[in-house]
Amino acid sequence: MRSLLPIIKGKKPRHPLLARLLHWVYAPAVLAGILSGFYLTRPFPSQGFSKVESAQKTHFVAQYLLICSYLARIYQAYFTKDYQEILPGFNDMAGLPRFLQYELFLSQKKPKYKKYNPGQKILFTGLGLLIPLQIITGLALYKPNSLQKTVVLAGGLGPLRKWHYLAGVAVFALSAGHIYFACTHDPNKLKSIFTGYE
Amino acid sequence: MPIRIGTEPLRPGKLSRSAPPLIWLGTNTCGGDAVSFLNSLDPGYLDLLRDLADCRYLYLTMTAEGDMATRILDEMLTTLPGKYILVVEGTIPTRSNGLYSVVGMRNGEPLTALQAVRELGTKARYVVAVGTCAAFGGPFAAMPNPSGSLPVQAVLDRQVINVPGCPVNPDWMMGTLVHLIRFGEPELDSFNRPKLFYGETIHNLCQRRHYFDNSLFAKQPGEPWCMYQIGCKGPDTFADCPYRQWNGEHLSWPVKANTPCIGCVNPEFPDGNAPFFEHLPDVRLPGVRVTADRVGALTAAATVLGIGVHLAGSILTGRLAHAFKQTFSGSGARTRLLQNLIQRFSKKR
Ligand code: HEM
Ligand code: HEM
Ligand code: SF4
Repeated sequence: MRSLLPIIKGKKPRHPLLARLLHWVYAPAVLAGILSGFYLTRPFPSQGFSKVESAQKTHFVAQYLLICSYLARIYQAYFTKDYQEILPGFNDMAGLPRFLQYELFLSQKKPKYKKYNPGQKILFTGLGLLIPLQIITGLALYKPNSLQKTVVLAGGLGPLRKWHYLAGVAVFALSAGHIYFACTHDPNKLKSIFTGYE
Repeated sequence: MPIRIGTEPLRPGKLSRSAPPLIWLGTNTCGGDAVSFLNSLDPGYLDLLRDLADCRYLYLTMTAEGDMATRILDEMLTTLPGKYILVVEGTIPTRSNGLYSVVGMRNGEPLTALQAVRELGTKARYVVAVGTCAAFGGPFAAMPNPSGSLPVQAVLDRQVINVPGCPVNPDWMMGTLVHLIRFGEPELDSFNRPKLFYGETIHNLCQRRHYFDNSLFAKQPGEPWCMYQIGCKGPDTFADCPYRQWNGEHLSWPVKANTPCIGCVNPEFPDGNAPFFEHLPDVRLPGVRVTADRVGALTAAATVLGIGVHLAGSILTGRLAHAFKQTFSGSGARTRLLQNLIQRFSKKR
């Protein structure tokens, strides 16, 4: 009955508490990873860190938060089976042209979706695939001695660093797109990632 | 009459019985590793000849040539299988049945490096690939690699100990040989390099590390700061150059000479870590080669442009205003949901 109360009040549940909590761990971790990571590539003072040491500290704290929250989110997805809402299926792919037509202002009719639109699904799945790549290459950069087998697979630390950087570039682009759409598309949904209800 | 090399007399017959026979083949190589090896100080090259190994064949310094030299190789196979150490310097070309590197003639036919390394490598006690070319391909297998050159491990189905470097540091090679002779196989890392010399990154051993940590960077070679921003490969390179150093007397090394490390011991050297003066290696796509920085900059520009255009579109078509008006004017999801519930209830009745 208690869980029904908000619904009776007209609130539609959208994100369970755990998913929201985890979102607000991995989202700042990814943002901190982007900021400190790109400073580490080109350490110029204008980029927000006074020295490499502090950027590294930020990056390494963020990396632990990201690894833990990512694994927890995968665990949650597996047990609650909510990955079905996130992974794009056949219907999403078939509906992609209609979605793109609307988003590219070629059609006025806003398509309706059960939870996430095909764009969001592709974006979240993309992030879900890039983060493990980021974690694996990042861990091998972090502990190149103990994880040298991963370095062998990448063909050396140089190529491995390049993959970590390129994955970082892709994570940056997807995160920027996600934040833009999250902030401009539907304030109700934006609210829902804090409150749980739209 | 003792043979003389320089001023030191060579005393045959002084070798201890345990000194294993040594063969040092030169395949596709510039010869730099053998020359560098000759600069070893303690033990020096003469110590190797006199006390440590029964050096039967070293392509650069031996006096034997032609059939006489090839005969030594044949003898090894027939009389000393499983006893000798084989050192290979250079890549093994595989194109045209290996004819791009011939180490001698046998029965009037060219004896290719491919054939020699396969035959001798199979029966050797240890196989050591000296220099980055032999260990990983290096410059002699660099793109476009017209001779189809491969590192030693790629043509031998057995353990090869890699002692890379372009050239190898004399200590790394002499140290590995002495270890093999006196104590057996040294502890190796996942790239089959002796951990003794390749166990830590240059970056972690570098005297300028505190400049790195505190963001004090050289803007061009010649400056006395950390070389990271001009492409130092120290963070990606496992070698002990900072304390072992080079130039015979352990005098200097690249960063001490105010120039970035180019990562010459790395498996990706040189194609996979060029350009040397850039932090990240280039990104190679079919037909194009771009710097990693440019990939980053182009992606960032495309992202900003995409978001900007969509935002402009949303403002101009009124969608943005509509989304916010709907939420804050009360005709949002909550109202929609209430309307839905009312509709549903009234239908049921
Ligand atoms: C989404 C998150 C992340 C982003 C965007 C990101 C981005 C980057 C970038 C751009 C660099 C600089 C690469 C270079 O040019 O040398 C970097 C370095 C690094 N990252 Fe990440 N990274 C992320 C997550 C991680 C994770 C999860 C780990 C570890 C598990 C990690 C470990 C490292 C390490 C060890 C370095 C090298 C630092 C150094 O050499 O000083 N990163 N990261
Ligand atoms: C300040 C920045 C961010 C804001 C305002 C934000 C906002 C949101 C919102 C509103 C949703 C729900 C969308 C909906 O219900 O339709 C969401 C979901 C999500 N966001 Fe973010 N986000 C931010 C940063 C990030 C970052 C950096 C990532 C990167 C990994 C990320 C990954 C996700 C994922 C994976 C979901 C799906 C959550 C789930 O179903 O459990 N977010 N975000
Ligand atoms: S000079 Fe090179 S090896 Fe030394 S601290 Fe700087 S980046 Fe690292």
